Amino acid sequence: MTDRTFLWLAQAFYAVSCVLTLRRLRAGGSGATLQRLNYAAMAVGFVLHTVFLYLRGQAVGRCPLTNLFETQAFIAWAAVLFFLLIGPSYRVSFLGAFTAPLVLLICLAALILPVDVVQAQPATRSAWVEFHAAIAILASGAFALAFVTGAMYLHQERQLKRRRLSSSFLLLPSIEQLDTINIRLLIMGFAMLTVGMLGGLVSYHIVGHWTKPKIIWAVSVWILYGALVMGRGLWTLRGRKVAVASMASFVLMLAGFWGVSLLGP
Amino acid sequence: MNLIVLGLNHRSAPVEVRERLAFAEGKLGEATCALLNAAPLYEAAILSTCNRVEIYGLANNATEASQAARRFLHEHHKLADSVDAYLYERHDHECIQHLLEVACGLDSMVLGETEILGQVKNAYHAAQQAGATGVVLNRLFQKAFSAAKHIRSSTAITRGSTSVGTVAVDLAEKIFGKLGKCTVMVIGTGEMSGVTARALQSRGAGTILVCSRTHERAEALAAQLQGRAISYDQWPAEFPAVDIVISSTAAPHPIVTREKLIPLMKTRRQRPLFLIDIAVPRDVERVCDELESVYLYDIDDLQQIARDNMSAREREIAACQVLIAQHLQRFAVWLEGNRAALEERYRNRVVATSLPKPAPTHAS
Repeated sequence: MTDRTFLWLAQAFYAVSCVLTLRRLRAGGSGATLQRLNYAAMAVGFVLHTVFLYLRGQAVGRCPLTNLFETQAFIAWAAVLFFLLIGPSYRVSFLGAFTAPLVLLICLAALILPVDVVQAQPATRSAWVEFHAAIAILASGAFALAFVTGAMYLHQERQLKRRRLSSSFLLLPSIEQLDTINIRLLIMGFAMLTVGMLGGLVSYHIVGHWTKPKIIWAVSVWILYGALVMGRGLWTLRGRKVAVASMASFVLMLAGFWGVSLLGP
Repeated sequence: MNLIVLGLNHRSAPVEVRERLAFAEGKLGEATCALLNAAPLYEAAILSTCNRVEIYGLANNATEASQAARRFLHEHHKLADSVDAYLYERHDHECIQHLLEVACGLDSMVLGETEILGQVKNAYHAAQQAGATGVVLNRLFQKAFSAAKHIRSSTAITRGSTSVGTVAVDLAEKIFGKLGKCTVMVIGTGEMSGVTARALQSRGAGTILVCSRTHERAEALAAQLQGRAISYDQWPAEFPAVDIVISSTAAPHPIVTREKLIPLMKTRRQRPLFLIDIAVPRDVERVCDELESVYLYDIDDLQQIARDNMSAREREIAACQVLIAQHLQRFAVWLEGNRAALEERYRNRVVATSLPKPAPTHAS
């Protein structure tokens, strides 16, 4: 049994969560039991996911961010972490309905595509490098949830505009609540990313192994989310536009990361 | 031994008849006792709402009991003519089924409404306190309550609002979340705008502003809603703070236009705006909903959603009937298992408060 098995097992639980959500939608959203089961499935998936990261960390002897596969698994893990923290505390109903499929998509892409290849690592370990990378990945978890709340916002907003309400309309949160959570996630993510970037600056000086495309990518992501948070803060961006932008930014970030990892250096 | 229900409802009788047969809520217990004295019933309960009057009873002989109960209704309400044509009567299984359907709101005028369960509970408690119920009706009503709860939670029979006012509230809650911080502006003082504003208020809407061309009317409605009346020309000035607009003026032309709205939305910093236009002809230009964060619903939109919700409830009837059949079956099994013991007890006219030996219980 390799560490990858645990990641596959985690996916099984995320898939169970998707099925439970569908059942809950079909039952018209009633059923606190289904909701608790759903949360439990995500939590068990998270534990298995954590076991995978731990085993992989032991195997590579450092924070498991040494290749594209590990990074994607780590981003998905951070997304589930944010879901488990935010879902109950903000009482966002059906947040899991949109989170689980996204997590599944990211993990399955990483598991199925041949991206789990050993890459040469610098001989010396630097705590700075690992800190900066890990905190930047946690920031992506917040951005993943901003993508999720953005998608939920658009789903609800479209129905309000079209005046055609589906059965899920009454079950999902209000657009104001989604808007509020979305911006909090963006601010949280941006703050963490900024700390990560500063850490990167230090580690670049110490180790100096960071390849150029990755730096350009990281700076672009920072500017992208910075602009989004600023735009919202200055009140020019709101509602629908923020939702679209937070979805687009996350896709651009992920696509950019796949790009620089596969093409560079 | 038979269970029997005798009564009338909004389908079998017009309101002129129903109101003559209605029992005052405070006198239900008294009336139930009078019924027990007047009719050969072991146990009885009377349910009286604005849409139905029903007598539930346990009798040794259904025909005799029914005749006596009809006489009781006639004499108690001092009726001049016969109401037999409006009355329906169901026995045994059909009686159980009827009570279950009533408790779930399947027999209500607004399908799936939930108020009826509380009314059935009141009827039961009144009868129970008057000592008119026994082992059978106690169990029947309690099973009906748990069946109603079960059916409500596992089907969509109560889901979705079915009136214009409550649909508007649902929409408002899906835009703003909690309505506590929302300011509502009522333009025009039609009856529907009062109803809609009151519905929003009952779900916690904060400030209410009322304006009308006739200032006295605005003040009257504002007083009713504990809101504030503002003069008709003032509404654009108040607009930046407003989240929900209910418009129902008799104006022949739109009073809220796209041109007026664009600068107002800027001052509101693109906060969402919910426009409820219940006027005919309409008060709000339809093109306003092209603006971002503006959600415009006219009377037809709201009615359409109410109708859609109603047909969604209608599609749930079959699922409800399946569950009702299960609950009915369980009660019927219990009743059959205890029939002999119960008949023995009641033959001696002992008011049964408990059974000698609980039956092999299929009932949960």
